Amino acid sequence: MDYRQNADSRDELRARFTAWLDTLIRRAKLNYLRKTEIPVDIVSLEELFEENIPVSEDEWMRQILFQDNDFNFEEERLATAYAELPLMRQQILKLLYVDELTVGEIAKRLNCSAQYVSDQKQKGLKHLRKKMSEGGDENG
Amino acid sequence: MDKDLFRITLQGAVAGNHDAFEKIIDLYAPLIEHHCYINGKYDEDLHQYILMRIALKISKFNI
Repeated sequence: MDYRQNADSRDELRARFTAWLDTLIRRAKLNYLRKTEIPVDIVSLEELFEENIPVSEDEWMRQILFQDNDFNFEEERLATAYAELPLMRQQILKLLYVDELTVGEIAKRLNCSAQYVSDQKQKGLKHLRKKMSEGGDENG
Repeated sequence: MDKDLFRITLQGAVAGNHDAFEKIIDLYAPLIEHHCYINGKYDEDLHQYILMRIALKISKFNI
């Protein structure tokens, strides 16, 4: 099955605007905090439990991609790169990092092999990494 | 809000239509409010500041 056939059903504009708005709000909040000089509670690394510190690439990607919800991206660039992925890869990344399913569980749910899920995950992450490393200039 | 309606509404908001802007703000109210907490407390001034920044910048969004 070619999942790119469903590309028209993706609402890329909405995803792009959501990412743009989220970035704008975060910057506005930082400016506001600077102007008002409200002290923000900060927890030192020593106070964190070890398991809360991201140790793997998967955890790093999960935190960047989906901090609070599906579209809570760190940068618009990443949202754009994510929107460029075929629907199947988007779905697999979402199931992995938002729903926190295992590769086996996803394979069962999507009625495909675990190897296929693993391949799609790797290709998806590779695409995001590539776009993040090369897209610094085009969006400012 | 479906895909086409969202596009029309966003185009209106970007073009300066007040009603369209309000609809977009309503749609994204949960996201905006989520960011209005500082140290666990809701900050109404921050809410107003964010709305002001969105109103100022939305025309820059490239559809």
